[in-house]
Amino acid sequence: MEKLTKVQFTNLNKILYPEAKVTKAQVIQHYIRMAPRMLDILKNRPAVLTRFPNGVGKEGFYEKDMPLGTPPWVETFKKYSETAEREINYVVCNDLDTLVWLGNLAALELHMTLSRIDAFEKPDLVVFDMDPEPPASTDDVVDVALMLKENLDGLGLESYVKTSGKRGLHILVPIVREYTFGQTREYVHQIGMHLAREAPIVISGFSRSKKPGTVYIDYLQNSHGRTMVCPYSLRATSQATVSMPLNWSEVKKGLKPEEFTLFNVAKSESNPWKGMLEVKQRLEKSVD
Amino acid sequence: MEEEPMEEPNARIPKRPFWSGAVTIGLVNVPVKLYTMTFDKAFSFRFLHKQDGQPLKYQKVCVKDNKVVPWEDTVRGYEVSKNRFIMFQKEELDAARPQSSQNIRIDKFVDYLSIDPIYFERSYVLTPDKSNEAYSLLLGALQKTHKAGAGRIALRTKEYPVLLHAYKGALVLTTLRYAYEISDPNNFEELKRLKEPEKKELDLAVKIINDLSGEFDITEYEDTYEERIRKLIAKKLKGETIVAEKPVKEEAKELMAALQETLNQLKK
Repeated sequence: MEKLTKVQFTNLNKILYPEAKVTKAQVIQHYIRMAPRMLDILKNRPAVLTRFPNGVGKEGFYEKDMPLGTPPWVETFKKYSETAEREINYVVCNDLDTLVWLGNLAALELHMTLSRIDAFEKPDLVVFDMDPEPPASTDDVVDVALMLKENLDGLGLESYVKTSGKRGLHILVPIVREYTFGQTREYVHQIGMHLAREAPIVISGFSRSKKPGTVYIDYLQNSHGRTMVCPYSLRATSQATVSMPLNWSEVKKGLKPEEFTLFNVAKSESNPWKGMLEVKQRLEKSVD
Repeated sequence: MEEEPMEEPNARIPKRPFWSGAVTIGLVNVPVKLYTMTFDKAFSFRFLHKQDGQPLKYQKVCVKDNKVVPWEDTVRGYEVSKNRFIMFQKEELDAARPQSSQNIRIDKFVDYLSIDPIYFERSYVLTPDKSNEAYSLLLGALQKTHKAGAGRIALRTKEYPVLLHAYKGALVLTTLRYAYEISDPNNFEELKRLKEPEKKELDLAVKIINDLSGEFDITEYEDTYEERIRKLIAKKLKGETIVAEKPVKEEAKELMAALQETLNQLKK
């Protein structure tokens, strides 16, 4: 029989989500099933892993550097990190084998950069990362997201939305690779402040300056080396939730991000983000 | 989660015949199917890992380097003296095996009750194989004469002496042990030095035996240990049971199927 993968599976029966009773085999299977939709967007983007070798609830760790024992066929990208003050070898998930290998490492969450390695300083995605600060809820995030969508539509910009896999939403705007992170960051901040003027619930700020009852737009996500959870990535939540791309028509009051889990997302046939990477938009016309 | 109902303690009816062929007596042939009739235990335990409750499997480990040896790397060895072996290839042993035959060959008929049960090994039920008339004729004749046919059968690896006899309206085949497989009690020194009992004492012992005499009924004997374990199992079933995880191979199979599908999609 033809060998289907270079990956040697280990501990397939290990429970990685004790509450949802999800085994590593199921995690790997999720990534295999989602690969056709994930690989396009992951292509040439350094990936950062959140690994839970002993399952959710046990100690997990964030891994920027390629793990020990990374096989030679896995693509990597070497970059000096100013925060870490050393070179980091990022894993670049460019094929199915690498994705399967990451699953086998119990890398439950896959995060990706907003730029690609051939122009690492020039993002091709702008992200509006929105999270509710209790008592604000997902419904409040939905309100703000729809407001943002209206604004972006008015600017003639196509936008794409996904759940964060927790309570927030990520709204992405694909752009030409001509702007710096400084520019995209400022752009998101400007729009965020505009929304804040219209709706007092909105705060465009740092994710850490938490103020109860608000919806935060964390514009700092648009920075060099920062990552966003990849679409269809699992989250390290008790119920194995997934960061799920949505059609804008699905973004309405009553949206329950926690309902998108490993158990049901593979059943969705449509790809709401189809063609997103071919959309290359300019920001100028709106930055006045 | 639903648990399977427990097996009844009664011996089961096997689904498939263990062997099929014919009883041959001279020129007469009676085609028959042979079913296992005796079972050693109604249930058995498996070994589990104490820490996580998962089933344990056996592996062959080399005594020299403690490495696991795969089945294909094993041969049979005969221990001639302590730690000295003669090695046999599978082919050498196969060549020495009896020709498997499709016949139960009956050589003569003997008084069934004259055979000491010490020779009896395992019993099999015979059923007619499109041979109802010949089968019932042979059965009827054995019932009438209280005789058993003595002969032999060659099964996969061994040839056995057998007895063919009537039991509860069926022909039953019982394999017998060879003479060399049974030790002769006369070899025990203590037994050689036994004295004849005195007549008076013997008469008393015979009287006791006669007083305690009766019909033998196997159902008077219950396996009390088995019964207690059965009750324990029933109790545990109501509480917690440890569910065995799917073997890795099964899980990997599903992954392979998913991989194949995804690879097909990616090729498009």
